[in-house]
Amino acid sequence: MLNIQSYLNDQVKFPFCKGCGHNNVLRRLNESLVALQLGVNDVALVTDIGCIGLADNLFKDIHTVHTTHGRSTAFATGIALVDSVLDTRKLKTIVLIGDGGAMIGLQHLVHAAMLNVDVTVIVCNNFVYGMTGGQGSGLTPECFITATTPQGNIVPPVDLCEILKHSNAPWVGRTLATDQQFPSLLKEAIDFPGFAVLEVLELCTEFAVPDNELTGKKLAEIAARNRWQLGRIERNDDRRPYADRYREISGKDRSNGEEKGADAKSQRPVLLRNPLSIVLAGSAGERIQSSAALICQMALNVGLHVTQKNDNPVTQGSGFSLSELWFSPSPVGYTGIEEPDIIVVTSEDGFKEIRNQGWLTRLGPKSIVYLDDSIKTEFFDSRMKRIPFRTSFGPKGAALGALTFLADRKKIIEAERVFARVGQRYGQESEQLLKKGMETLSAMDGAS
Amino acid sequence: MSSFHLRTGNQMMAEGAIQAGCKFFAGYPITPASGIFKTMIDLLPSKGGIALSAPDEISAIAYCIGASMKGAKAMTATSGPGWALMIESVQYALMTETPLVVSLVQRLGPSTGGATQGAQGDVLLAEFATSGGYTLPMLCPTNARECYELTVLAFTWAELYRTPVILLSDKEVGMTAERVDYDSLPKFTSQDRPRLRQVAGGDGARQTMPGGTYFFRDPQEIPAFSPVGGEVKVTATGSAHDKRGKLQKNSPETIDVLLHLEEKLRWREQDLAVVDADLQEGAETLLVSYGVTSRAAKDAVQSLRRQGGKVSFLGIQSLFPVPKKKIADALRGINRVIVAEENMKGLYRSVIERYCGGNPVVGVNKVGSMITPREILSVIVQ
Repeated sequence: MLNIQSYLNDQVKFPFCKGCGHNNVLRRLNESLVALQLGVNDVALVTDIGCIGLADNLFKDIHTVHTTHGRSTAFATGIALVDSVLDTRKLKTIVLIGDGGAMIGLQHLVHAAMLNVDVTVIVCNNFVYGMTGGQGSGLTPECFITATTPQGNIVPPVDLCEILKHSNAPWVGRTLATDQQFPSLLKEAIDFPGFAVLEVLELCTEFAVPDNELTGKKLAEIAARNRWQLGRIERNDDRRPYADRYREISGKDRSNGEEKGADAKSQRPVLLRNPLSIVLAGSAGERIQSSAALICQMALNVGLHVTQKNDNPVTQGSGFSLSELWFSPSPVGYTGIEEPDIIVVTSEDGFKEIRNQGWLTRLGPKSIVYLDDSIKTEFFDSRMKRIPFRTSFGPKGAALGALTFLADRKKIIEAERVFARVGQRYGQESEQLLKKGMETLSAMDGAS
Repeated sequence: MSSFHLRTGNQMMAEGAIQAGCKFFAGYPITPASGIFKTMIDLLPSKGGIALSAPDEISAIAYCIGASMKGAKAMTATSGPGWALMIESVQYALMTETPLVVSLVQRLGPSTGGATQGAQGDVLLAEFATSGGYTLPMLCPTNARECYELTVLAFTWAELYRTPVILLSDKEVGMTAERVDYDSLPKFTSQDRPRLRQVAGGDGARQTMPGGTYFFRDPQEIPAFSPVGGEVKVTATGSAHDKRGKLQKNSPETIDVLLHLEEKLRWREQDLAVVDADLQEGAETLLVSYGVTSRAAKDAVQSLRRQGGKVSFLGIQSLFPVPKKKIADALRGINRVIVAEENMKGLYRSVIERYCGGNPVVGVNKVGSMITPREILSVIVQ
């Protein structure tokens, strides 16, 4: 049984101004810890930048992490995630942050609330940045005079508690630093086994008080005028912590059904003598890149080196799809294709992109361009061949058909091996479609 | 010959991280680094780790740093625009001596630049991300396999030296799929951060950290790690601090701590040198390159040698600390140095020029697409 009298340094002297609300906050925090009798290794106090950020050095034995401006909640979230998911879930992680930090780091508060990690955020809202000269923050009330609102603030403040409540924070509260219910609210917030935020309205005697004739009583008026609810605003004991939900899903293996690596049985001597480059282009959704990946993996299986570089519009699901491929008996260094050996195009989208990217200007004397016979083009030279890929293999099979045809012809991989693999992976029907298409092409004169 | 897989550099970086014992990954989508994020999301949960989406890059890296302070090996991945947002927290990791691996998969900049275009334009933005120009160890892979190997190494460095380590990749290395032979991948994992040995008191009383959270005797010594919430009180801070982690202005001890942050790496400089040296007897030109451009450089070297020419090659994988000794070793008989890199001004060249023995140093530079072997060759034969 612990019997800790105080978590503060012996003979602690707070560095804050006389009458500053931070003095109250830290005393109440200490009392809450004493009331909860948390083990000193079970508390991590994470502090932000600003006057309240000086608190870490005032506590004696608990763990403290002094962070950067506004990011304290995010660092605390990382600590709490590991504690609750990977470790024994014992830490109470407490964040001390000001109104300025809460605003610049709002995203971190929102996400911690969404995740529901066991982090308690105490937002010390004195309406100003005290350490830098009393500038106004996003939580400064209207008409309030600060260094940056000398005529009175004309921008209404955000209601932090409402934002976080609507971010699914399971525990939300607001209090005046001097209010009698502050201690019990703070104790409840820390004790709550999930994300909790307690906004504390307080006085900055140096900057907020003189110009605004601020008193403790006036704080209550400010809250009322802004319709800031005081007391416990939200408590949802049904929201489950992130760690519980994560554990439920984390055991599942999500590795997808990728092409299998080679095994010894599939080895045969490499027949391809020289590096060969192929540029394959077609339409998004017509299995351009996945067909290229299948042929590439099969080429690996017979001992070749390959590289595959894909390209598509940033919107991904529309327009062209393109793969640049190298097949080589030796490792591939430079992966670009300066002078393509083969360009194969299965649709208008693909051809448009081939021209856009300037591939046709990079043809060498030995380059060959295979165009699907549906593609309309005004220029045509002897290096171009028209092949009925789409009619022979169907629109979605055209890319695989074209690559199978080329892979077989160029001694990368035998068509029979591709048939077998396709049958294995996609079923009999796909295998038959591919076989029939290949027969059609073989029977054609122009294809050879 | 039995386990060839088609893999991108991004996939291998994620697999390398898992091999290294990474237990925490927080990411935010960005081309061309998203493949690392996706692979971690797919693989890490079933390996007993946490992989999650952060709402922005600042949160992502802060989650990782918090996780690492709690004792988990942590990593995030991004590209130039995300790196720009992470810089504040990278400095925090450096200052708090928190092990962390950040993969920076470069794309064409400035600003959002070209998401699907490669570049090597972030090398100095990454290295000199700290006020004061502290060394951030940086490893730079040239292919998918090295993505795996260097990620394991990055974790070892991060852990042993309690520092953020940058893995500098790029769109071409990250997103190009190529052959990886799994059977030949190294089986070792990364080393772990040295922890403060826990001497339990008989009455269960806790230890206080002897000398404090950041205690060292000699400036090059690495403070023993203790996790937040462990048996030994942690006092961590990103502000200038003494060895106990107390915020200080400029006390002599605080200055000692600042100097120690650099000294711990400078002292080990020679252990942190990883290069691919292919030196040729009689060569008078040394070609230096890194990352994706190393591949074209090696092709150019082979091509020149086939024609009877002579040239030495130095591919640098550990860009920082600069492997000065390895560079010096490669300079024997050399009277000209060429540095090939895919950026406008020769960023890395500007750093290593002073270590090139007074030889003329020329660049092969390009923006917008990969430098070709031909372009490098044309400078070598000039």
